[in-house]
Amino acid sequence: MKYFRFIWKNVFRKKIRAFLTMASIVLVLVLIVVLSSFLEGMEGTTGTGKGATHIVVQHATGLANFMPLAYRQRIEQIPGVVAVAPEVWFGGMYKDDRPENFFGQLSTDPETWAVIHDDYTLPQDQLKTWQAERDSFVAGKQLIDKYHWGIGDRIQIKGTYITGMLDLVLRGVYTGPDESNIFFHNKYLENSSIGRLSRTGIFFLRTKTPEQVPVVCDAINRMFENSEAPVKAMPEKQFMLQFAEMMGNVKLLVRSIALTVLFTVVLIVANSVAMSARERTTQIAVIRALGFRRRQVLALVLSEAMVLALLGGLIGVLFSIPFTHMLVEGMKHSPVAPFAYNIRISAATLLTAFVAAVAIGIVSGFVPAIRSARVKIVDGLRQVA
Amino acid sequence: MAHSLISVEHVSKVYRRDALQIPVLEDINLEIDKGEFVALMGPSGSGKTTLLNLIAGIDVPTKGRLSIDGRDISSMRETDLARWRADTIGFIFQLYNLIPVLTGFENVELPLLLTKLSRRERNEHVRSALTIVGLADRMDHYPRQLSGGQEQRVAIARAIVTDPLILVADEPTGDLDAKSAEEILVLLNRLNEEYHKTIVMVTHDPRAAGRAHRQLHLDKGVLSPETPAVVERSRDSR
Repeated sequence: MKYFRFIWKNVFRKKIRAFLTMASIVLVLVLIVVLSSFLEGMEGTTGTGKGATHIVVQHATGLANFMPLAYRQRIEQIPGVVAVAPEVWFGGMYKDDRPENFFGQLSTDPETWAVIHDDYTLPQDQLKTWQAERDSFVAGKQLIDKYHWGIGDRIQIKGTYITGMLDLVLRGVYTGPDESNIFFHNKYLENSSIGRLSRTGIFFLRTKTPEQVPVVCDAINRMFENSEAPVKAMPEKQFMLQFAEMMGNVKLLVRSIALTVLFTVVLIVANSVAMSARERTTQIAVIRALGFRRRQVLALVLSEAMVLALLGGLIGVLFSIPFTHMLVEGMKHSPVAPFAYNIRISAATLLTAFVAAVAIGIVSGFVPAIRSARVKIVDGLRQVA
Repeated sequence: MAHSLISVEHVSKVYRRDALQIPVLEDINLEIDKGEFVALMGPSGSGKTTLLNLIAGIDVPTKGRLSIDGRDISSMRETDLARWRADTIGFIFQLYNLIPVLTGFENVELPLLLTKLSRRERNEHVRSALTIVGLADRMDHYPRQLSGGQEQRVAIARAIVTDPLILVADEPTGDLDAKSAEEILVLLNRLNEEYHKTIVMVTHDPRAAGRAHRQLHLDKGVLSPETPAVVERSRDSR
C-alpha cells in the first residue's frame, strides 16, 4: 500500500494519455456488457425457474405449417402434462407497417392460459373478465406502457397472412418474463381460414416438473411421427432460440467482435504502458540504483497497468448500465423488440466485464513490466531523462 | 592492520559492444578509509564514472575484487546487491534525477519505502534529511517548482535519508551555476565532517575537487599517483 501513491502518480503522469487509454477500456467494457446482455436476452429468461416446465409443439417441418386441433386431447392424456393450449401467431399490423409498431399477437385458450403461463401474473378479476368476453385481450405491461393503453381501450389489428381484422378490447395487463405480446381468444379466429380448418400453429403446454419435459417431448414426437402432420415438441427455451438462430450464428459473430475489440484494447493499453515505461528508463534506473529490485520494478509497472485497467473497468461497468438501458429502449422500437424485453444486465455479466478489465491490465502490463525490470542501471542512467 | 572502508583490488572493466572490446579501467588498486572525502578527476572517457559505478555496486568489474566495509560486492547476487545498495550507498547525480511526479518529500521518502519503517518513522526521517539540506520549507514543492541548486539539495536529502555509509556523487555541481555549486560543495563538506559520511565524488571542476581530502586522477582507465588537496581545504577552513 505504501507504493500506491507512487504508482498512482505515475499512472497520471501524462494525464491526456492516461484518460484516453482509460476511455478505450471503458468503451470496450461497455461493449462487452451490452453484447453479453444482448446474448443473454436472445437466449431468453425462459427455460429456468417456472419456465422450465414449458413445452412448445410445432409442425415438424416448421412454423409455416399448421397441425390439427384434435392433437390437443391426445397430448393432454400424456402422463405429466398439466394443461395444453393451442396458440396461433396472428402476425398482424397495428396502426401501420412500421417495425416499431410490431408486437406479438397470439390467440390462445384463456381457460388454460393462466395454468400454462405460470410465470406470468394476471390479476384474477382481469383473467375472469378476459375469459368471459370473446373479443377481449390481455397485454404485457411493457406494451401497455409503450402505447398508454387503458383497461377498456379498443384496438384494431389488420391481418397479414391470416386474413381479417382483429377488433379487441383490453381486459387485463400481465407481467412476466416477456411482456411484449398480447393474447386473445382462439374463438375469435373461428371464422378465419385457419379456424375453419380446425388447425393451430403451436401447442403450448406445461408439465408438472422440469424433469418430465424431455420425457413428454419424446412421447409427443413419437405419438405423431407417422401421422399426416408429424410434430416437433421442444422446451420453450429451445423454441425461442430458433428465432435467434434465424439471424445466423449471431452469438458467434457477437462473441468474435467482443474478443477482437478486447484484443485491440489490450494492444492499446500495452502500447500506452510501454511508452510510459520507455520514457521513464532513467527514472527506473534511478530507483533500481536506490535499491529497488527487478521484481519490485516489475510489480510497479504491472500495477500501473492494473490501476489503469481497474479504473477503466469500474467506470466501464458503471457506464454500461445506463447505456444498456438506452439500447433496450431503442430496441423496443425496432423489429427486434421482442428480444429487448428479455435483456437484463446480470451480475455474471458485470463480473465477466470486470474480469476482462483485470485481464487487460495483466496482459497489457506484462511485457512493458518485464522490459522495465530488465533495464540495466548503468545504461538507464546514461540516457538523458 | 585496520581495513579500509572501500578496497579496490586489481579491478578492470571491459565493455563489450558486439565483437568489439572496449577496456575502460585497467588494474585499478585503491583504498578509501571511512570518513574520507575523495575526488575522482580525469578527462572525459577516462573511466571516472565507471569506477564510481563499481564502488556503488550498480556495475560489476570484469576482473578484480571490490570490497566495501569488509564485504566482497563483486561476487554478490543481484538481489543481495540491490539490498546492499539500499543500506550502504547514497546516490547524487549530475542531473539530480528526481522523480518529477513526486514532491520533494515523496522523492526523499522513496528509498525509505524499501525499509520496514512505519509511516510516522519515515516522516521523521524525511523531515530530518530535508532540514539538514535546508529545504524543510519546500518539501511539498515538485521538482519543477525548485531551482537547480534546490533540486540537487533534495537529491542529497534522498541520498542521506537512509543514513548510508557512503555517498557517491557523479558531477554533483556539473549542472549548476557557481553560487549553487558552492552551496552544494559546502553541504557535502558538512555531511563529511559533521555526519562522517564517506564521499566519493566524480568531478571535472578543480575547485570542487579542492574540497576533497584526496584527488585521484584517472587517465585512459589508469589511476595516476595521488595528489593531496591541502591548499584548497586549508583555505576553505579559514
